[in-house]
Parts: sequence; C-alpha cells; structure tokens
Amino acid sequence: MLDMAEHDLSDGEGDSALLTLVETIEELSATRTIDEVAAVVRSSARRISGADGVAFVLRDDDCCWYLDEDAIGPLWKGKRFPLTACISGWAMLNRQTVVIPDIYQDDRIPHDAYRPTFVKSLVMTPVRTRDPIAALGAYWAKEHTPPPEIVAKLQVMARATAAALESGRLQASLNKELERRTFLMRELDHRVKNTLASVQSIASQTLRTATSPQAFNESFESRLLALSQAHELLTKQAWGKAQLREILAAALRPFGGLEDGRFVVEGPPIEITPEAAVAVHMTLHELIVNAAKYGALSVPAGKVFVAWRVEDAAGSHPTFALEWRERGGPPVTAPGPKDEGFGSRLIRRGLSRDLGGAAVLDFLPEGLVFTFRAPLSQRLAAA
Amino acid sequence: MNGRRIMIVEDEALVAMMVEDLLTDLGCEVSGSFGAVGEALAYLDDDKPSLDGAVLDINIGGEMVFPVAEALRAKGVPFVFATGYGALPRKGFEDVTVLAKPINFGHLRDAVHGFGHAA
Repeated sequence: MLDMAEHDLSDGEGDSALLTLVETIEELSATRTIDEVAAVVRSSARRISGADGVAFVLRDDDCCWYLDEDAIGPLWKGKRFPLTACISGWAMLNRQTVVIPDIYQDDRIPHDAYRPTFVKSLVMTPVRTRDPIAALGAYWAKEHTPPPEIVAKLQVMARATAAALESGRLQASLNKELERRTFLMRELDHRVKNTLASVQSIASQTLRTATSPQAFNESFESRLLALSQAHELLTKQAWGKAQLREILAAALRPFGGLEDGRFVVEGPPIEITPEAAVAVHMTLHELIVNAAKYGALSVPAGKVFVAWRVEDAAGSHPTFALEWRERGGPPVTAPGPKDEGFGSRLIRRGLSRDLGGAAVLDFLPEGLVFTFRAPLSQRLAAA
Repeated sequence: MNGRRIMIVEDEALVAMMVEDLLTDLGCEVSGSFGAVGEALAYLDDDKPSLDGAVLDINIGGEMVFPVAEALRAKGVPFVFATGYGALPRKGFEDVTVLAKPINFGHLRDAVHGFGHAA
C-alpha cells in the first residue's frame, strides 16, 4: 500500500536526496531575480521533501503573498492574506518553523482558507530567521507528522533561499517588483476613476440634448462603445503611445474600416499619448456618426477625405494639420447655435483641449469640413 | 452664486466639459478652462478681472498642478482639487478640499459655496 507521506531513507535514496539538496543550493546561488528563486524552490522543494505540494510565500508589508506553488491541487497562488491570518505569517512573525500534523486541530490555521484544498498537514519555515522576508511551505494530503529529517531539509532550503535573496541584485529586483506593483495599482485606480468620470460626462451631456429616452440610449451606447474601443486600442499598446492611423482605423471600423472605398486617408506616422488618444478617438467617432446620420456617409455615393501633414516652415514651430472633408452627401445646413449638441461641442473643443491648437468646423454646402491645427509637442509627435 | 468667476484646469476633454456644464448650472461663469499647467499660469500672469475660485485636476498630462495652486494662493483665490488618484501627496496643500472623480455634483456645489466665504 502506497503511503504518500512515508519517506523511506535507504542509503541510496538518502545520498541522492542529499545530492538534490546540494544541487538546489548551487542553483539558488546563481539566481538573479525573485522569479528565478521561486522557480528553483518550486521544483526542488517538492522533490526533496516528498510533499504533495509546496508554496513559496513572500512578505509584502503586512501581507503574505503566495508567489508560487507546485502541488497536486490548487493552493493559493497569487493570493494575499494579512500576516496575522495565515500560518506563513505566523512563521514569519514568530521567526519559527511550524510543524502541524493535523491542520484542523490547530487554531493558527484559517480553516476556511484550507477547506477547498487537499491539505491536511504541513510544515512552514521562515526564510531568513533574523527578519523573515519569506516562507517555505510544504503540504501533505493526509494527517501525519513530517519526519525531522524532512523538516531539516526544508530548513536548509530556507537558509539557502535566504542567502540567495540576501544577495544585492535580488534584493533590488524584489524592491523593484513591489514598487512596480504599487505603481501599477495606483495607475489603474487613477485610470479607472478618470474613465468613470468620462462616462459620467458622456451620460450627463448626452442627456441634456436627448429628445427621448430611446434617443438617449442610442447615443449613449454608441459613445460608450467608442470609449471602450479607444481603451482597447490603448491596452493593446500597453497604454503607450498610439498611432494616429490606428486610432482612425479603430474609429472607422464600425463603418467599414480604412479599407472601405468611402474613406480616402493619407498622412505621415504621428504618435499620440494615451490620454490624448482617447479624445482623438472620441472626436473622430462624433465626426463619423454625424457623417453617417446627416453627411457623406448617409448616402452610398458620399466620400470622406481625411488627410494630415506636418508643416515645417522655416522660423516657426512644426505644426500638425489635419483635415476631414466630406463630399457627395446631401446638402449641408449649419445647425443653429441652440442646436449644438455634445457631438459638435466635443468636435470643436475635444482635440484642442488635449493637444493644444485650434479646431474649426465649417458647414460648407458641398460637405462638412473639419480642420485641426496644433503645434507638435510631447503629446503629438512625428513618429 | 450668480456670476461667480471660476477657472478650471483639467486635461481630459470630457471631464473638463462636464465640470464647465456643472459650474454653469450653478450659475457660475467659467472664466477659463485649461488643459495644461503652462496655459493656466500664463492666464494667471496676465492682469485679468478677479477670479472667485478654481477647480484643479492634480495630474495635468503628467505635470502636477501645484505651481498653479501656488499662484492662486499668492493671489488669495480659493480653490479645490479634483482627482482620480486615491491619496496623492500634496505638500503644503493638505488643508485644501479634494473632490474625488467621478465628481459628485453636491460636493462641487458645496465647494463653490465655500469659495464665496473666502472673498
């Protein structure tokens, strides 16, 4: 009968286990990053201990972070718990190795967190006893008392891990990781709040000029989709700069895309910062929707010409100039000042707000013309 | 609150337009709406008719708005911050009201009310 928890230390097996431990220590001393440490620990700790699962837990301020694991079933990889609420935290705070033969008999274990797992017994040993920064956990699927030699091996691994983590370059990598995570979380929070504020803006302004709940719904939904597409494009570029042509392509996609014969598009590569890219996308969206409802795109023969260039006259700052010209649509009449809705307002002001410069909307009888000129800048640059 | 002249510094077009609408709804006059710190400072440099208050987004396209806040403070013009960042350090301005985004109309109204007392 195979007892998974039994570890029979015959001479041959003992030697090979020792060799594995030595190899592991050597591998650990060659690691450069936290991820590399986790990879070594993950693969060796299970082999060395014979456990059904191992976890590598990092201390992150007052939380324990289950960075990596290797087990017969899912544990808590990626999750964070308060140090005071988990056994890895206990081991780190008390600077002691913990051996628990039956977890459901021990009060230090958060039983609810363990119930969905296979774990019945465990060993948890802190990494760096002086001031623990991590912990190594070994888990078994049945109640048993892990033999002292297994506990000893895990402690040796923990010491080797401490030495590896202690090395200067690893410490720097750890700090950078945690810093980056904090930075990303804060950035995410900021972007989400700004996005919600944008949605709030779109909703309230669409509401002001909507003639009926149905009309509001249509308009609002269309703009919400445009906002979502703008973000999708930015996410694809990891919120780096966006190409004007790509923004245009995304905005035109619901209406046939750049390849559609009704659009004639030309201009050099231009890079736009993420926040400005959203405004550019939303403005283009309004122009297109307007063209589809009342302008060139409302008839099959109509065409939209979009062209941009960089004007580099001697003695003056390089200027970006874009023109959106509609042709072949129904005769155009300018809306009265009272009729100016959110759409035209955004078209007139949205771009100049984010990129500087000025926008002009001309309701020429043969077709609407929108021109935008702005100085090249950090936000709007030739690529 | 009628005719109170308020300046806005906000780099996101959609949010700026909404704040302008909200202020106009409150009976205020938007004396200037800027998407860059430099533009706002240039406006304040000119000798313009007096400002009654300002609403400042904290992060303006990567630049912090604090130079504008300093200039307003020097002129004795009250202002509030509006931000999507949770807890941004703002040395020297810890006592200034911060409006969270998305903006709550009631909070904005209270803030504008508060501008009146300072004058």
